[in-house]
Amino acid sequence: MRSRSGIRRLALAMVAGFGLAVWVMPIVWGLLTSFKTERDVLAYPPVWLFKPTLDNYYEVIFGATSILPNLISSLVITMSATLVTMAFAIPAAYALARLRFPAKQASGFYVLATQMLPPVGLIIPYYLALQRIGGLDTYSGLTLIYLTFSLPFAIWLMVSYFEDIPYEMEEAALLDRAGRLRTLLYVILPQVRGGIAVTAIFVFLNAWNEFMFAVVLGGNRVRPVTVAMFNFISVEQTQWSKLAAAAMLAMAPVIIIGILAQRHIVKGLTFGAVKGGGRR
Amino acid sequence: MSAAATAPPLEVQERRFALALFVPALALLLLTTTVPLVYLVWTSLFRLDLGMPWLSGFAGLGNYVKMGSDPRFWNSLLLTFIYTGSTVVLQVVIGLSLALLVMQFPKGQGILRIAAILPIVLAPVVVGLFWRTLVLAPDFGLVDLVTVALGLGSHNWLGDPQLALISVIAIHTWQWTPFAFLVLLASLATLPPDIYEAARLDRAGAWQRFRHITLPLIRPAIVMVVILRMMTALSAFAAIFAATGGGPGSATEILNLYAYRTSFSELNLGYGASLAVVLLSITLATSYVMFRLRRARA
Repeated sequence: MRSRSGIRRLALAMVAGFGLAVWVMPIVWGLLTSFKTERDVLAYPPVWLFKPTLDNYYEVIFGATSILPNLISSLVITMSATLVTMAFAIPAAYALARLRFPAKQASGFYVLATQMLPPVGLIIPYYLALQRIGGLDTYSGLTLIYLTFSLPFAIWLMVSYFEDIPYEMEEAALLDRAGRLRTLLYVILPQVRGGIAVTAIFVFLNAWNEFMFAVVLGGNRVRPVTVAMFNFISVEQTQWSKLAAAAMLAMAPVIIIGILAQRHIVKGLTFGAVKGGGRR
Repeated sequence: MSAAATAPPLEVQERRFALALFVPALALLLLTTTVPLVYLVWTSLFRLDLGMPWLSGFAGLGNYVKMGSDPRFWNSLLLTFIYTGSTVVLQVVIGLSLALLVMQFPKGQGILRIAAILPIVLAPVVVGLFWRTLVLAPDFGLVDLVTVALGLGSHNWLGDPQLALISVIAIHTWQWTPFAFLVLLASLATLPPDIYEAARLDRAGAWQRFRHITLPLIRPAIVMVVILRMMTALSAFAAIFAATGGGPGSATEILNLYAYRTSFSELNLGYGASLAVVLLSITLATSYVMFRLRRARA
């Protein structure tokens, strides 16, 4: 009986290990490739052991094909999109979660519905409108369209955090004649600090990874790093190791953020609909 | 008491405060999503071809009529259903199986959870490029290493039309199965262990326990995963764009990509807009049906 369960456990562990390998391998392979010389990359059969070099990283940071301007571009858009989103989402989410007002349920549905719009349906009118007013290749144009996916998402996620606060806290503050705005600012907001941080992180992540809007509405001036990845691929030749190094640099922030926020990732992925996933 | 007589009643106060907080976001959403959408529908009624601007003009429903006899449209529609259907089913089945499996041994969960987070946080465009170069490239890619070692030979995974469709489905499934896995694992972890004890005392088998206890309890989470995964699959873009660009030919051109290519490669924005309207209608109809289903079963 005992040995049978031992075999079963081993089989389970092997299947889980296989799943693990499938998810991790392409990324590890990319990491290895980023430290290879072009010669090692093209060695056949591929080599696992080689003399690592930092040349690719040096080249994509300081060289002719530097992605540094693109990283800055990404940072500017992502930060501005995150700040604007949070400034509008926090108050709106509080109202949806806690206050009574006309057509509240319909408003909630409206916010949810805007999240479902396919990006390709938005980008055509944005392209036409921004082209007319000279808004192509500008930070404000791109920030504006990033709100279309970040704002509804942030509102819904924040609602779930506001709903977690006990009603008694507000009631006590209101009985103290603290006024609604002061109650929100000094009693409620400190309670959802964690939720605000998690929401901002997810907005940042989604904006950092965005590609379709950036490739159409960006240009030579505003060119986020997701678009710049294509610098290393052309019809004649793929610069494998430089592409891998650039990808590692570009993805380092989101990988670090993802691992740091892992306890909250399930909640973030489901707009707050499913909780937990962490320490249970 | 005199203050109370002049100040508006509490409900009015609350309503005013709520509107002051909510209306700015509502206005911004109307401006950034709904107004452009109206403009999209309006654009879809025009012939608007930046390549041939002299032909531009009002077309009524002309763009929609044109779709009926456009084989590329029907192909993209079929691919959309194949792509969405297969990726969602694969994600839920693999994700749920893995989650059930991992629940059996609590020790390795942490490491698997971190591994699962990696594909999710990567930009789809980077995933597409990684697969195109490191994973699926003939001879040098990881997949070819395995198939050659197994004696199955080298394949042009993204160059052959049928293999290309399978490849982009595999890429999407690779990136998003961890989503289903993590959400369903979290959902399984919330189930109270004592119902299993009771079932075990009743001599219920493993399959019966799954079928009659686990499945009904996590059904809301499964439906949630299906809805969200369908939305992502219907508007999948960057990974396919990076891996195949919709090709070879139009072998991986789902409706979303067709609308994009029509608008921004061929610069036929009027027809592109009408294709986007169709995709939008499919997306909204799907989510409506799914939400109805969710409420009916709950």
